Amino acid sequence: METRLIKKELLPGLIKGLAEDTLVYAPVQEEDDVFFRVLEKDMEPLAEFGNAKNAPKNFFFPQAETMMRFMKKERGSELERVPGDFPEAVLFGVRPCDARSFVLLDFVFDDPKYRDPYYMERREKTTIVSLACVHPPYSTCFCTSMGGHPFSSDGADVLLVDMGDDWLAECITDKGEKLLEKLGDLPKADDEVLARKEEMAKQAAAEITTSVPGKEIKPWLDENFDHPFWDSVHVGCLACGTCTYLCPTCHCFDITDEAKDSEGRRIRSWDSCMYWLFTRETSGHNPRPSQKERWRQRFMHKFKYFVDNYDAIACVGCGRCVRYCPVNIDIRKIAQDIAKL
Amino acid sequence: MENIEKQLREEARKLLSEKKVDALVGYEQGTLPYQAAPCIITEPEEADRLVWNPFCSVNLAKYVHDLIFQHRESQTRTKPEDRTKKVVGVIARGCTTRSIVIHLQERQYERNEVVIVGVPCTGYIAKRKLFRALEGAEPLACAVEGDSLKVETAQGSKSILIRDILSDSCLTCRYNNPVISDINVGEPAPPMNPDGEYNDVDAFENLPTDERWAYFTKEMDKCIRCYACRNTCPSCYCKVCFVEQSQPRWVGVSVDESDTQVFQIMRIFHQAGRCVDCGSCVEVCPMGVDLRKFLKKLDKDGFDLFEHRAGESLEDPPPLGAFSTYDKEDFIFEP
Repeated sequence: METRLIKKELLPGLIKGLAEDTLVYAPVQEEDDVFFRVLEKDMEPLAEFGNAKNAPKNFFFPQAETMMRFMKKERGSELERVPGDFPEAVLFGVRPCDARSFVLLDFVFDDPKYRDPYYMERREKTTIVSLACVHPPYSTCFCTSMGGHPFSSDGADVLLVDMGDDWLAECITDKGEKLLEKLGDLPKADDEVLARKEEMAKQAAAEITTSVPGKEIKPWLDENFDHPFWDSVHVGCLACGTCTYLCPTCHCFDITDEAKDSEGRRIRSWDSCMYWLFTRETSGHNPRPSQKERWRQRFMHKFKYFVDNYDAIACVGCGRCVRYCPVNIDIRKIAQDIAKL
Repeated sequence: MENIEKQLREEARKLLSEKKVDALVGYEQGTLPYQAAPCIITEPEEADRLVWNPFCSVNLAKYVHDLIFQHRESQTRTKPEDRTKKVVGVIARGCTTRSIVIHLQERQYERNEVVIVGVPCTGYIAKRKLFRALEGAEPLACAVEGDSLKVETAQGSKSILIRDILSDSCLTCRYNNPVISDINVGEPAPPMNPDGEYNDVDAFENLPTDERWAYFTKEMDKCIRCYACRNTCPSCYCKVCFVEQSQPRWVGVSVDESDTQVFQIMRIFHQAGRCVDCGSCVEVCPMGVDLRKFLKKLDKDGFDLFEHRAGESLEDPPPLGAFSTYDKEDFIFEP
């Protein structure tokens, strides 16, 4: 594995330089918050921040995208595939938890039976640059409980580690190597730096004090779909989409046709299991009639069904849903409470 | 504040053990030090879960409406003569009681279906302002000490004047004591500062159209259509919101900016004469959209045109629900 050193003060400039001829997504400050955005000329990419409010999944799986267009012709109709001309891109500044979300989303969108062309094209053409969490930014971080690590390179093509004066850049994949070559002649890191990094990684993991049960509670979930425990989880839930929309691994979507006169388009857009419309059937029947069933679904999907399907928990422990839930429904507590049952 | 909390628990325990309410809506300590979460308790032993502190923010009238309507729905297949009423108790500050007044005026439920435990209010903390005051540091522990909030962060402890981080709605609140109640706890709270209530709106109204439009579009661009604002709003109780109707579909499902604007404009206009400025929509918004500016404009119009303040009293009919030959009509003009 190639390792390089990048002078601390040079990194933002390098990213901005890259953005001159490449599509770059990077975290930027907007009013009170940090968001991943397409980096434009007058924007400053951040390298030192907690985490972005929006999840980076948005670039591979946008909130809404056109799948195809259709037109009514004199005889019959015409369908037009929306061309996949997505350019090569760089996604900069992803935290290791969020980078792991791509490994999980790949299970869904890169399934051997069905390969999602929209997600996959963007995914394959994008190089992901992760930033290790030398000090995990929030008390709500729990990546280590979900199979992640503040220095994990899962899902990343390049992992950057803040070594004080320099960024240590580790190439994880060929894509990452190509990107670093593009950044110019960078000095190699010596063994002392690498040893120091190993030490920092241990410390960073030790800074995460929250422990959330993951696969340990799976046997309970397998048996207790109807347990009275589920009567209390959702109390207070506003049924808004904040948790699912900010979640880096939530990936449920809806497909809708929008038409005007003789033309229209088919749209894929995010859906949320928190919404009452999510499973409502044409007849009016809803198999998940109340927020109780919807919350059980959200939890079960992450901690049971996804494990059944892909042997992984569909949560990376970023803590967004914990921090931003307007009524403080805490997925960590739900898992911890289940472990006590 | 601790005294109020103690009394609240006492009253809640009494109401539940005497079976005067079937459920009681209040706040409990959240899992984060800067959160008080809405909770619903049904047993007297649970009364000690209740808390009262400046983190109690969202308007609980929404839950009163939800609980009563869920109960009614569960009885749709019960013979009318066998149907029961569900009585819901609620811990209510001024704005919450005003929302209940609106529910009652709009005939959502009967007065005897709700038991209001009125609480004097000195305002709640806007989490965005708290984070701004901490300059990005994360609060690890919070404690109210007099008129300050003592916050522990990884960078050390900091004392912040609560007044400086109160929600904008609270700073200019005119009704921080309950307007109706069945039980009152604590002494009435001293008034806030409603004189400058419309200063922001006045300044905004005086801007040129293009600047106002630019501000509106900038704010709406932040919206991710999670509907937290609508879902926390006690005045947004439509069984099916127009954004979710599909025959016809009024609003597109994509993230087209005009669709988001239509949602927000429609929601805001539906609040004419019905917004109590509780600030819940602003507080729950994960994106920090300034909804208050636009809602407050309607509130101002309601007062200027009809001398009406939403939910102020049961006797004062809502402007759009009453007709008077003295209604102003000088805004109607020939095109």
